[in-house]
Amino acid sequence: MALSSEELDEIRTALGREPTNAELFMFEAQWSEHCSYKSSKHYLRLLPSSGEGVLIGPGRDAAAVKVFRDYAVILKIESHNHPSAVDPYNGASTGVGGVVRDVLTLGARPIALLDLLFFGSPEDGHARWLIGGVVRGISDYGNRIGVPVVAGMTWFDRSYGKYPLVNVACIGVIAASKIVNDKPKENDYVVIVGNTTGRDGLLGSSFASKSLDLQGDVDYLPAIQVGNPLVEKLIIDFLVEAADLGIVKHVKDLGGGGLATALAELTSNYGLGAYIKLEQLHVREPDLRPEEILVSESQERMLLVVSSDNFQKLKVLLDKYGLQYSVIGHLDGSGIIKIYYRDDLIASLPADTLAKPRIKFREVEVPAHHIRLHNDDSIRLPEVGLGDALLKLLSSPNIASKEWIYSQYDYEVGIRTVVKPGLGDAAVLRLIDVDDGLGIAVKGDGNPRYVFLNPFRGAANSVAECYRNLISVGSKPIAIVDELNAGNPEKPTHYWYFTEMVKGISWCAQELKLPVVGGKVSFYNEDLSSDIMVKPVATIVGVGVIDDIKKSMTFDLKDYGNYLLVVGTTYPELGGSEFLHTCLGLELGEVPLPRPSTEVSNGGYVSKLVGLGYAKAVHDIDIGGLAVAVAEMCINGMKGVRIDLKRVPSRGCSRVEELLFSETQARYLIEVGRDRIDDVLELASLYRADVGVIGEVGGSDLIFTWGEFEAVNVSVNELRRTYTNSLELLLGR
Amino acid sequence: MPKVAVIKFPGTNADLDVVWVLRKVSRLEAYSIWHSEFRADGWDAVVIPGGFSYGDWLRAGAIAAKSEVVKELVNALDNGIPLLGICNGFQILTEAEVLPGVLLPNESCRFICRWVRVRFVNPRGPWLKLVSNDFVADMPIAHGEGRYYVGFYEEVSKLPLITYYGYNPNGSSYDIAGVGTSDGLVLGLMPHPERASEPELTPRTLSQGGRVVWLSISNALREGW
Repeated sequence: MALSSEELDEIRTALGREPTNAELFMFEAQWSEHCSYKSSKHYLRLLPSSGEGVLIGPGRDAAAVKVFRDYAVILKIESHNHPSAVDPYNGASTGVGGVVRDVLTLGARPIALLDLLFFGSPEDGHARWLIGGVVRGISDYGNRIGVPVVAGMTWFDRSYGKYPLVNVACIGVIAASKIVNDKPKENDYVVIVGNTTGRDGLLGSSFASKSLDLQGDVDYLPAIQVGNPLVEKLIIDFLVEAADLGIVKHVKDLGGGGLATALAELTSNYGLGAYIKLEQLHVREPDLRPEEILVSESQERMLLVVSSDNFQKLKVLLDKYGLQYSVIGHLDGSGIIKIYYRDDLIASLPADTLAKPRIKFREVEVPAHHIRLHNDDSIRLPEVGLGDALLKLLSSPNIASKEWIYSQYDYEVGIRTVVKPGLGDAAVLRLIDVDDGLGIAVKGDGNPRYVFLNPFRGAANSVAECYRNLISVGSKPIAIVDELNAGNPEKPTHYWYFTEMVKGISWCAQELKLPVVGGKVSFYNEDLSSDIMVKPVATIVGVGVIDDIKKSMTFDLKDYGNYLLVVGTTYPELGGSEFLHTCLGLELGEVPLPRPSTEVSNGGYVSKLVGLGYAKAVHDIDIGGLAVAVAEMCINGMKGVRIDLKRVPSRGCSRVEELLFSETQARYLIEVGRDRIDDVLELASLYRADVGVIGEVGGSDLIFTWGEFEAVNVSVNELRRTYTNSLELLLGR
Repeated sequence: MPKVAVIKFPGTNADLDVVWVLRKVSRLEAYSIWHSEFRADGWDAVVIPGGFSYGDWLRAGAIAAKSEVVKELVNALDNGIPLLGICNGFQILTEAEVLPGVLLPNESCRFICRWVRVRFVNPRGPWLKLVSNDFVADMPIAHGEGRYYVGFYEEVSKLPLITYYGYNPNGSSYDIAGVGTSDGLVLGLMPHPERASEPELTPRTLSQGGRVVWLSISNALREGW
């Protein structure tokens, strides 16, 4: 039993009696951290969630933001960390299934998926097993339901060796007027559609609200859900059609907490009650006990609220798609959830009591290592071969091409994917659903090393990074969602990371005027059998809009003779960098300062250049710094470039390494044709952007010089080999 | 205007993609038709698009190949109705023995999504009417079970073929990516021509290799082949 004795007392007081067995199961599911957000709620209120175009913000299964004219983009992010640690294939695939159903609750057609994955070192056998299973799980499920995985990120760090983080996000699109969002009323039918209810995933949300002992012999398997993508695909086709016909009033996913949570949230949100006859539900196993039915997390099930008038039409559609369903009861005005099983009243709970447990105020303590590591100014850079350092960075799994992963995803299905994985800083999708020429950009970001060293800056920088990626491809960022992956909230030093991450996101999003329209919190990411802390991380998924997809940008160098420009000043900010980690084995220092106001001015400048058609290629500068970003542009365009580092606008830098590998925020690289260079520089002063014309596209080598001194000279072929093959070499063909 | 049916089985996921291209590039009337609602008469051509019919359970295409629709389509072939199978559609047509050979799991045992270069050999029939012999084109593949296997090259050498050019991504026999019947009325291929028919979707350095298929069927249905 995961309920504390304190919580049990609370329940007794609220009910004025002993709870029944079924009621206890319902409370355990709904009051779990996973479902109730009891430890996170009051901090999450810090996040700016409203803004122009936000139709549905946090609190529902998915958020809706209005884009072009009458269309809305639907966003949702989810984590499936606990199950993926135990059963990577099923854990990850059901994560995809769940996030897609959340988008479906508003009736939207899911058009894209993103995955944000955090794995152990690919050299570690157990980590490789987890990597293979997670990627295959996402691949098998995403491909089978026909929703392309178009973007994301992957990070490798020893702390995820036995405990991976698996975050997935889904994007949907729907005409705003068709969003399924009617107010449920008394006497509306409660219909469960889809898969049969079985014993898989029993109390999965409660399992996900505890720390795991991955060494011990605890059998976690019963809490793992198993997916069926064929049923999910049928539910997608069915619900998109039902939304179009307007015959469904309200939909909820049976996700974490199963039927108990879906009923609690539905009734409590609308001040209603429910009369449920549990034996009417279609189940997989006849001997399922009623309390198991209430908290089973069997996948591919949805709760629909339908008026009695529309039920016949709904039935016709359900029969067409061959979907199983059952009418399990109806709503009433009582505010009480009454569950009957074979004529026995097994639960009778006030919806609000069940849905809203008391907020937990947790203690916060700054971990000692934070102060030590973040303020470490003892970095004495030894002499390193700069060319070798660049190749080493390009072979780092954090930077190397992720083709091994994304080539397992059908990223083209739906014929919307204009900028495909590996070609741009974000994915660009055309909205054939709306009109030719309009599109959206999507991207996901997170940096566990930054968060580990400084969670406030780390989380803020991920918001900024996502913003830059959306700008780079030519879109206007309009909204983000966040996933906060943290440790045990009952441990003050773990909880501190969570609170700092929320503050960082909140501040940076506010400064960038990006509403945080939804999100999720995942606590208890902790392996009790290991001394290493699973690194917390905030992941950010953002959406931008593009008026003309023909103007969307990739980062490959286009033509010989063009100029390469850097936008933004470089500071000596090697703290927490990939360079320190990969080349010197260090994980310390002051994380680069978030610079939101510079982000806004530089972002505005870059957008202008793209809009005017002056930019031929755009790439944001991310981990690995300027050198890695230039190398990636060369590799994708198969062209060389010669760069004079003296021309890089910088302040306070005293070493070439700092110019090459600093991870200063708010910087971009732009390729510009010779005929436009004067206009481009003139605009720079207008936008107050620091710009340096640092080189010219030409030859087949990447050369960095400092005046006469040649710092790096590597052939693009060699860069490309290293960048393209490294991950595959580590993970196997 | 000629009318094309695009068959949708449970698990089919590229039906709307093909409908879009048939309307936009071929300028034909096209509809996605739920499998149980399909009747062969009244259609000028039929496409079985990509996806995972019946979840690919058992073997890719195996269950759909035994369906009523496929039986009806086989009968309709006698009336000269062109039939195209893309990806899962190709798998269904080999499972139904309308086309020779079988499709096995990729050599790498992994799903592969990427652009490939293909060559058209012995092109004929409505789907390849405008294609010249040895024409080379770019298209993406996206499949887990796309390794074409046939015992002897002689079994297929005289048929219309689409072969991987330069790089064979999945270990297919004789680099075969697609095959047609001797008259070219039926064509099946693993690459996705519908994803390579518009400039917006085609990477800068590659060709819109699928376009020729959609222009061919458009021309053939209007002027014969």
